[in-house]
Amino acid sequence: MATAMINALFPLLQLCDSNFPSGAFSHSFGLETYIQEQNITGRDSFAEALSIFIRKQLVYTDGLACRLAFESLEAGEDASLEELDRLLYVSCLAEESRMGNKRIGERMAKLCSELYPSSALSNYVARIKAKQAYGQPAIVFALVAYHLNVSKETAIGAYLYANVSSLIQNAVRGIPLGQTDGQKILVGIQPLIGKAVDQILQLTIEDFGAVSPGLEIAQMRHERLHVRLFMS
Amino acid sequence: MAKKERSVNRIGVMTHIGLLELTAAKKHSRTIISSCYYEGALKITRPVYLEKDSPSIYLIHVGGGYVDGDVYRTNLALEEGAELTVTTQSSTKVYKTPKQPVCQYTDIVLGKGSVLEYLPDPLIAYEGARFIQETDVTISEGSSFFYSDIITPGWAEDGRLFRYDWIRSKLKVFKKDKLVLLDHLLLEPDEGLGGIMQMEGYTHVGTFLILHSKADKRFIDSMYELLSELKGDVQFGLSRLPEDGAILRILARSSGSIETMISYAHEYARRELLGKDFFSWRKY
Repeated sequence: MATAMINALFPLLQLCDSNFPSGAFSHSFGLETYIQEQNITGRDSFAEALSIFIRKQLVYTDGLACRLAFESLEAGEDASLEELDRLLYVSCLAEESRMGNKRIGERMAKLCSELYPSSALSNYVARIKAKQAYGQPAIVFALVAYHLNVSKETAIGAYLYANVSSLIQNAVRGIPLGQTDGQKILVGIQPLIGKAVDQILQLTIEDFGAVSPGLEIAQMRHERLHVRLFMS
Repeated sequence: MAKKERSVNRIGVMTHIGLLELTAAKKHSRTIISSCYYEGALKITRPVYLEKDSPSIYLIHVGGGYVDGDVYRTNLALEEGAELTVTTQSSTKVYKTPKQPVCQYTDIVLGKGSVLEYLPDPLIAYEGARFIQETDVTISEGSSFFYSDIITPGWAEDGRLFRYDWIRSKLKVFKKDKLVLLDHLLLEPDEGLGGIMQMEGYTHVGTFLILHSKADKRFIDSMYELLSELKGDVQFGLSRLPEDGAILRILARSSGSIETMISYAHEYARRELLGKDFFSWRKY
């Protein structure tokens, strides 16, 4: 039992490490717009923005997709992964964020298929190569987590954590924040991640893709910023 | 009639409070309304030829506003090469919905090379309103689609904003049975709705969507330049869509400033993409 837990724990720690080379390092998903315009200036304003980002975007998009992908793997319905992959792509209306997710998804898929190979993941990589799928980090994460035999709740929570910790690392560089402040935010945000998992478990596919206009506009406006640290 | 149907709806029988079905077809060089059927609270005006070859129609709601449990269905079909502009005669008002949300379903099918400009007046959601809007669009090779949507908080007795319960607006675009676009907006007032990442201190949301094969990066960049020159109290984003086209999303403090921006974008897109001149609805 203990061995099984550790077997899943280490790979999850690896995937959620903000140094994991998925390319998330280069994307702020609109947060840089707020930083440049001085709406996010320090620890408190960033922590507040991050909590809204989780509740109003991540939950309805990548978070929900991670759950639905995990469930379709449980049900043995590989085909619905392709539908989810497409939904994620066509519902992201800010081009940079859409391309950012695709780039991260492709990279993660390729890397994870070497690190934690499974036939389902190899199929997904093959479909991306054949341009039958776009490549989405939420789906790759669900594929790897399912293969590791972790629970659905753990998979969703870990995926949200991976997103949040990489955004915090980016904020540490971008705002900038002190490393300690970044870590404090990561502690403070943990109960919110738990709540977000509960919220995701109550949603249906009808809720998928619901976004808040402000963040989406900030993601679109990022394309027009003159000096940028991040690609989105 | 509408009243009777409403009472039927209250006891749980699915019904339409309004239904409109319309087909536009191209005959020689001219588009005509080849079939039209409506019942309940939805009607249309006779087609008006503000332009020589393509008609404009105005959707009319005869009830004065949408109330609890109302369901509206509009089906528009444009046959190959047909060109049509559609608007409403006035804004759509959604009142309190204590039992059932109001649902408005719109289904649009665009044939090859057809052009639909669908620009309704703003939606006003009053205190306690719950509103679901679902619009499905099927596009074809060479078809063009312009679409606008403006969501406004209605006046509330206590003067506070965002007194509606929630608004859920979904626009889906399909091409050859594949989903190529999902625009899903959820406005659900909580203590943070007015703030960062949500409404950013603004009150009104506007959208203008362009689906056209020539709406490329160059077009979008020059439209962005044009819109940036407008001096208004707005925040806007413009981005390229996964399918050929662009989306303009606007936050503002009045419907007027959104309408101004959309009309600039519309005029520009008409000229650059359709080769058509400025267009006035002559509503007022």
